[in-house]
Amino acid sequence: MKCERLNWDLLVRAVDQELSRSEAEWVPAHIAACTDCRQECEAIETLSGGLRAVVNSADVIGQPSDREQLTALQPIRQAPEKVLRRFGWGMAIAATLAIGIIVAPKQRVKIVDRPATQQVAAAISNAIEVDGETFVALPYSNPDLPASAPRIVQMQVPVSSLANIGISMEPAVNEILNQDRTVLADVLLGADGQPLGVHVVSWE
Amino acid sequence: MEQGRLLTFPAVPWKIESLETGNNSRLLLDLYDREQTPLKRYVAMLGVDPETARDIVQDSFLKLHEHLLSGGDQSNLRAWLYRVVHNNARNRQTSFGARNTGRIEDLPPAASPVATDQSAEEQLLGQERESRLKQAMEKLSEAQRACLVLRTQGLKYREIAESLSLSVSTVGENVQRGLERLRELL
Repeated sequence: MKCERLNWDLLVRAVDQELSRSEAEWVPAHIAACTDCRQECEAIETLSGGLRAVVNSADVIGQPSDREQLTALQPIRQAPEKVLRRFGWGMAIAATLAIGIIVAPKQRVKIVDRPATQQVAAAISNAIEVDGETFVALPYSNPDLPASAPRIVQMQVPVSSLANIGISMEPAVNEILNQDRTVLADVLLGADGQPLGVHVVSWE
Repeated sequence: MEQGRLLTFPAVPWKIESLETGNNSRLLLDLYDREQTPLKRYVAMLGVDPETARDIVQDSFLKLHEHLLSGGDQSNLRAWLYRVVHNNARNRQTSFGARNTGRIEDLPPAASPVATDQSAEEQLLGQERESRLKQAMEKLSEAQRACLVLRTQGLKYREIAESLSLSVSTVGENVQRGLERLRELL
């Protein structure tokens, strides 16, 4: 390589379109004008093409049943951004603090699994039943608000906030250790968008 | 009831998902259709036989499903897949030893897209060059080879960095030094 202005590093990154913004201002223009650098770039591209041919020649096995296995998996629920945007951090922090102060759990409920959930929920006086699904009513949900046009959204709920509303998922010691742990739960939202009840769906 | 309004369930730390299903499953299948072959090629280049490569890649898509199901980060799923596949291939190689591994040199010759326009002599030269390239690739460091192979599958340096848990500048160095070494060897 005869040209003194560009080193090999810059040329490789120019070919790969990985130049920084300031480099991109002058490097491609130089390459276009410099025969040596252009030849170097062509050599890099040829070598890269050879590499690609070698890699793409690798024997690959695939069966239609592999794709079918994925098609048969449980559908995944999509997170719409607009719902997330409706809540601000300030509101969340205020809410978390408020729950911590006002909600004093009277009894701790151990929820084991879906069938057991129903039994436990039935034992709770203010359980909410929607579309055959039972929700543990949140202690601060407004009972006077009509539960008409409720919406059920599935979300990851921190175990710590469930503990705050009296649903204990694990021994108190683990609760402290695994504060970041979340479980999948259906949350019943009222017509006003405020959560009314929660139904834990699964956790490991 | 002012209290009821104030005491909103803490919504932000939770990932809210609607009941509309199917979109992420589409995401999973789209990724599968696009990436399964490049992923298998990558695993093959790590010296894994095709049947094991198929297992590893299928397994990584099942893991991706769990990842999506539990509301995991969706920002760079391609790099996520390569990382899972890479680690899985590495683990298997450690546990099964060398008996399950192939070598780049053992790969069949690539079908040249311009083969019809070439004379028999030119084709022979092409094959010769290709086998020299395969031998040269064996002499690269593992990181250099991994970076170069991922680069052939169209991954940007940032994606390669995420896949291999390296910094972007280290990826740049590996690509550059790897190419340099190949050129010396050819």
